[in-house]
Amino acid sequence: MKQVLPPRIGPKAFDAALTAFAGVVGKDWVLASDADRDAYSDIYAPGSPEQWPASAAVAPASVAEVQAIVRLANQHKVPLWPVSRGKNLGYGTAAPRMAGSVVLDLGRMNRIIELDAKLAYCVLEPGVSFFDLHEAIEREKLPLWMSVPGNAWGSVLGNAFDHGIGYTPYGLHARNLCGFEVVLPQGDLVRTGMGAMAGNHAWHLHPLSYGPTFDLAFTQSNLGVVTRAGVWLQPAPATSLELVFDIPNEDDIGWVVDTIAPLKISGTIDQNVFIPSWLGKMVLKGQRNDFWDKPGAIPDWRVKELLTQYKLGYWQVALRLYGEEAVVRAKADIVKAAMARNLAVPPAEHWWHAGEPRNAVDITAGVPSAVPLQMSDWVGGRGGHMGFSPVVPATSEHVMGQLKRARAIIAAHDIDFYASFTIGGRFATNINMLMFDRDQPAQVTNIKALFNDLIAETAKAGYGEYRTHLGWMDKVADTYDFNNHALRRMTETIKDALDPNGIIAPGKQGIWPSVWRDQAKEGRA
Amino acid sequence: MARIAAFMIGAALIAGPATLVLADPPPPPPYQMRAAAPAGDRNAPGRDGRALFENHCGYCHLTFGMGTNLLVKQRLAVGASPATALLANRDDLTSVYVHAVVRMGKGAMPPQTRVDVTDAELDSVAAYLGRGK
Repeated sequence: MKQVLPPRIGPKAFDAALTAFAGVVGKDWVLASDADRDAYSDIYAPGSPEQWPASAAVAPASVAEVQAIVRLANQHKVPLWPVSRGKNLGYGTAAPRMAGSVVLDLGRMNRIIELDAKLAYCVLEPGVSFFDLHEAIEREKLPLWMSVPGNAWGSVLGNAFDHGIGYTPYGLHARNLCGFEVVLPQGDLVRTGMGAMAGNHAWHLHPLSYGPTFDLAFTQSNLGVVTRAGVWLQPAPATSLELVFDIPNEDDIGWVVDTIAPLKISGTIDQNVFIPSWLGKMVLKGQRNDFWDKPGAIPDWRVKELLTQYKLGYWQVALRLYGEEAVVRAKADIVKAAMARNLAVPPAEHWWHAGEPRNAVDITAGVPSAVPLQMSDWVGGRGGHMGFSPVVPATSEHVMGQLKRARAIIAAHDIDFYASFTIGGRFATNINMLMFDRDQPAQVTNIKALFNDLIAETAKAGYGEYRTHLGWMDKVADTYDFNNHALRRMTETIKDALDPNGIIAPGKQGIWPSVWRDQAKEGRA
Repeated sequence: MARIAAFMIGAALIAGPATLVLADPPPPPPYQMRAAAPAGDRNAPGRDGRALFENHCGYCHLTFGMGTNLLVKQRLAVGASPATALLANRDDLTSVYVHAVVRMGKGAMPPQTRVDVTDAELDSVAAYLGRGK
């Protein structure tokens, strides 16, 4: 990829900045070749990844090095784009929102600082992957489980910082965070929560502290660089039972939500319940050409044939209960009775007991896997995917409305429909997976137009996305419009106060420092 | 390795001869632990290629990883044993090819940064995977 420098920075000034960075981290960890820029590009970009080019990357190994890099970046007026491990696939990968930003790759900061089985928490640096943490727990045979997202290749903290979700009782990942250490945009170091008191023993245990609580202000945020955080973990259960219900028809999602959400809110079910549509299973069986050889969306009659042939329901609820066996049995009886009001077929039941292995893709049991990414192979070629992810109240009225609206828009663009609803309690997160071949310009153009339509129509109906790709960060931010975008105005006021040179992640989530606000029109998909 | 090979062969048997659509697969195998990252300077040559492969590439390329699963289909399509979907079982990879795929990506596999795998680590991994040539 050709080098694009940060706005208003010439080649000599940029080289001087990189030389200064190398003085901190060593020249081996300043990554500025064409191949490096390619590797930090958005490999799943809808269209050319050159729309979101990094100029270089720098990889510090310690908090002191992060502070030094941030201070130098202020001196040289070079913007930084921090990533934990840079695996935010479908949302921009490691690429920056503003062209020419230097990726601050925290992947070398991968220490597990604490791992405490007694109080079930850990303290991590951003470079720790889900696999790293899982294996550390397994090697020490600690009675702890993680919560993992669909793609667990990435960072535990990075996923939580981007408000990722998992499918266990600890599945709302940002809610597991407790106590941050943050390098502020001019290089100062703060500790949030109880950690604001030097030597405080409850830093990663008590989330509310004294005074305003800032932890989550540093998630989906460009107010600082988080260098460590506490993460609460699930105590390993004595047993677990998976109940798998195949739900035959599209419209059944209404009663499914009205059945499960109250059980989740009351605590009978404690996991986030993931309900994918049939395509979630088909992507693991082959590519779309294996099932339908024409370019448009698979027609409904063919979908019906496939469901019959492969014995799939339109939806699948693979619900998991956790705890002492007697408790799990009692909960299972309640869940099965509730589901039986609308579904005659009993669920498949899969028990797990402490000491037994968990399988390689058991994400509801907290096992990290990248296998769900196989969906990228669905359309063939160099596959990519994007997720359209609005949040709706967990009732049939809202879920059905969202389903029908998204379904109609996706059908109008002639794209295969692959949706999931994850019931997190009072809300359901609706992720619509949009797969495309990166080398087919017509597909890319269509996906982009589709994404714009989804955002606009969904916002008009009163729902917003919880997360989005770089190219739509401003457009989604625009939909959060109460009182002339009062929340964005407040955040940008804070941003300018903390970061007058606009060094940290300009444009992230539509928050622009005043110094770079003229760049906001660029990089929109 | 015997258990891994048995699983891969199991995966092959459930694939029909005329199509690469996978029927209901057998239950997934247990999670396979990666080797710990070998100690030492990540930019130093000569570290343990096998351990580096498992640690850095094992996210996708051990038993039932995403890369392994996709390669099962590709290997079947060329008439090769599905056991060779595990890169560690291959005897036809060259060091040059491994370097190219890791840095440039291939199909659904993205290019790896030099923080993911340093040049020295890649040399060790490529020597390990290319040992059959």
